[in-house]
Amino acid sequence: MLGLLGTLDLANRSLQTSRQGTEVAGHNLANVNNPAYARQRLNVQTSLALPSSLGAVGTGVDAASITQLRDSILDRQVQTETSVRSSLEAQQSALQYAEAALGQQIDRQAAGPDGTTSANGIGSQPGLAENLSDLFNSFQGLSSNPTSLAERQNVLSAAQQTATQFNQVSQRLSTLHSSLDDSLQDSVKSFNDGLRDVADLNQRIISAELGARGTANDLRDLRQQKIENLSKLAKVDTATASDGSISVSLGGVALVNGAQLTESIETYDAGGGQLLVRAQTSGSPLTLTGGSMEGTIQARDGALTNLRTQLDALASSLVTNVNAIHKTGFGLNNSTGEDFFSGTNAATIRVNQKLIDNPALLQASGASGAPGDNQTILAMAQLGQQRQPALRDQTFQESYATSVTALGQSLASVNTQLNSQQIVDNMLQRQRDAVSGVSLDEEMTDLMKYQKAFEASAKLVVTIDEMLDTVLNLKR
Amino acid sequence: MRVTSNTFPSSLLNQLTTLTARQSQLQTQAATGQTIQSPEDDPTAMRRVLDLQAENNSVAQYQRNISRHQELASVTFDSVKALKKISDRASEIVISADGLKSKQELTVYATEVSELIKQAVQIANTKNRGDFIFGGTQTDKSPFTAALDSSGQVTKVDYQGNTTVPETEIAEGVTVSAQVPGANTSGSGTTGLITDSRTGADLFNHLISLQQHLAAGDSKTIAETDRAQLGKDEENLLFHLSSNGAIQARLEASSAKLSQRSLALNGLVSKEADADLAQTIVKLQQTQTAYQAALQSGSMLLNRSLLDYLR
Repeated sequence: MLGLLGTLDLANRSLQTSRQGTEVAGHNLANVNNPAYARQRLNVQTSLALPSSLGAVGTGVDAASITQLRDSILDRQVQTETSVRSSLEAQQSALQYAEAALGQQIDRQAAGPDGTTSANGIGSQPGLAENLSDLFNSFQGLSSNPTSLAERQNVLSAAQQTATQFNQVSQRLSTLHSSLDDSLQDSVKSFNDGLRDVADLNQRIISAELGARGTANDLRDLRQQKIENLSKLAKVDTATASDGSISVSLGGVALVNGAQLTESIETYDAGGGQLLVRAQTSGSPLTLTGGSMEGTIQARDGALTNLRTQLDALASSLVTNVNAIHKTGFGLNNSTGEDFFSGTNAATIRVNQKLIDNPALLQASGASGAPGDNQTILAMAQLGQQRQPALRDQTFQESYATSVTALGQSLASVNTQLNSQQIVDNMLQRQRDAVSGVSLDEEMTDLMKYQKAFEASAKLVVTIDEMLDTVLNLKR
Repeated sequence: MRVTSNTFPSSLLNQLTTLTARQSQLQTQAATGQTIQSPEDDPTAMRRVLDLQAENNSVAQYQRNISRHQELASVTFDSVKALKKISDRASEIVISADGLKSKQELTVYATEVSELIKQAVQIANTKNRGDFIFGGTQTDKSPFTAALDSSGQVTKVDYQGNTTVPETEIAEGVTVSAQVPGANTSGSGTTGLITDSRTGADLFNHLISLQQHLAAGDSKTIAETDRAQLGKDEENLLFHLSSNGAIQARLEASSAKLSQRSLALNGLVSKEADADLAQTIVKLQQTQTAYQAALQSGSMLLNRSLLDYLR
């Protein structure tokens, strides 16, 4: 038997439980738009029953704990997929910059430099493809009229445009390379900050949960968000310990162990300006398998480096081959032995300034004293159709088109992967939302439930009060 | 599946983003008329278009080369025709200068031949765009110079050019030249216009000897030697007229072929890169409808919650 006072106690516990219920619902409502938040539930249980001759007598309700609804498998998957997605996004943005730097597009409505190409409807191809095409066509044009100064000017302006375009593309790509390195260093810094935060949160969670009922829900939410931010930068492996802490490792190297920050990461030059990531204390190189840092490194050392190497090879081959022929020719005033281009790669290729100053020095003729001869310039024009062993047996134009296609293919494949990754991400997000997301409707009904229960418990207090009055009034 | 407060907005946002991206893509296609623009759109098609456009650019250049050659060929033709007239007149004089003519008459003929020689030298020194066209590749010096004696008669005509002619491409690997050298005594290469060792043509020297024989009144040598020699010159000029015609016909045919090639290339590029406008616009319309439907249904759902019914 509880007795009247015991029942009053029961009503009091019941009031408290209902109040806690509304508190939890209010907390959920407040965090409805917090992406890191997992909804919380008040777990209630019947309080200890008292044995009596009638059997066990219930003593009402007790708030047992507040738990958060989180699916650790989903959390782990979200971490993994975040890494995959960030890697793809980093690659996509790097490759898009590279594509823009190359500036190669198809424009069917644009007029060609001579105004004829638009009329025949094929359109032009702004970029190096057009420049190379113009260069060899201007050689052809001069070969059909070798003494014409106008044609010579035309050749030199086409050559200058080609050289300038090579220089610009090379410049843009090298800027892109260094800005990718910069972003890598920024990422390393925020990764280390993130590690410190996780270690710190581990410390706070351990002390908060030590000896307390339930878990440190809100700290755990924050830690999960920090870990997901780490996953964006690099694919980290996590393991939960019995004290509630989560240890973090990257590529087999332990970084956070319990509340201890055991290791940080840093960038280092792996040789030839290639910036990679390693552990700071042990100095062992880290193999990244996901995350934006891995994506950045992959795009930089893959498609971007290939593109730069190919452009340099193209420019160098152009310089060597054109010069080799041009050197043997004769200018209008029998000058000979001049180079046509100077420089050795895409960044340094220039047209010989002497020729620009005096187009008559352009060595088009194949014989001394024969200005009407065109053998040298014809050989230069025919160079455009020849397959170059240095360019894997392709012509200059084919080699350039191959580079463009290779870049386009890398980007197209990243785009496709990212599209399907988006679907996976959306699905996971929806699943996690289904488990952990706050529903306003649910919380509103919970509020109503607890409110009614609170009202009912208050009624119980009033009833017991009246009964106590009755008992006290028995004797007057 | 449990649907929470943020499920709707986030999935609506995803759908709207997808639809907007698709609309933008279709709109770009409709506006430019192209399905591919950047390498990422379709790398292999991009590659084919780049190759086709490069080919088309060189086709256009070959056509410009051909029209340059046609110009040269027609200038050459006019000169050869004029030389042929001179050679015809010389042949007439040879026939007229028989034994019945008086010495005085022959002297008058000699003066006429002398003028013919000067005229022929002038024609053989024809320029086109500032270049002497009959000097082989030595285009900066007049190929023929005549030496005159005190009485104004031509005693000698020297050739200062060379025997090579510049050849240019009119198609990949196909070279042609519309020029001929003024003289070719090397026994190989392009036949000389005035002098050629293989055909025995030597117009200037033959005219000079005719002039000298006329001045000397030697009608016998004129009939025996000069007539035959001038015949060789006439044949040589006829050969050049017909070969010039052949080159012009060849240039014409090549030009027509290149025009066809250009048209075909245009078709091929169009197949790779052009958007089907009707299809694109229908798709764009569909996407727009979907976008509007998503916006409307979204705004209806997002506005409603249990709160609307609690008071």
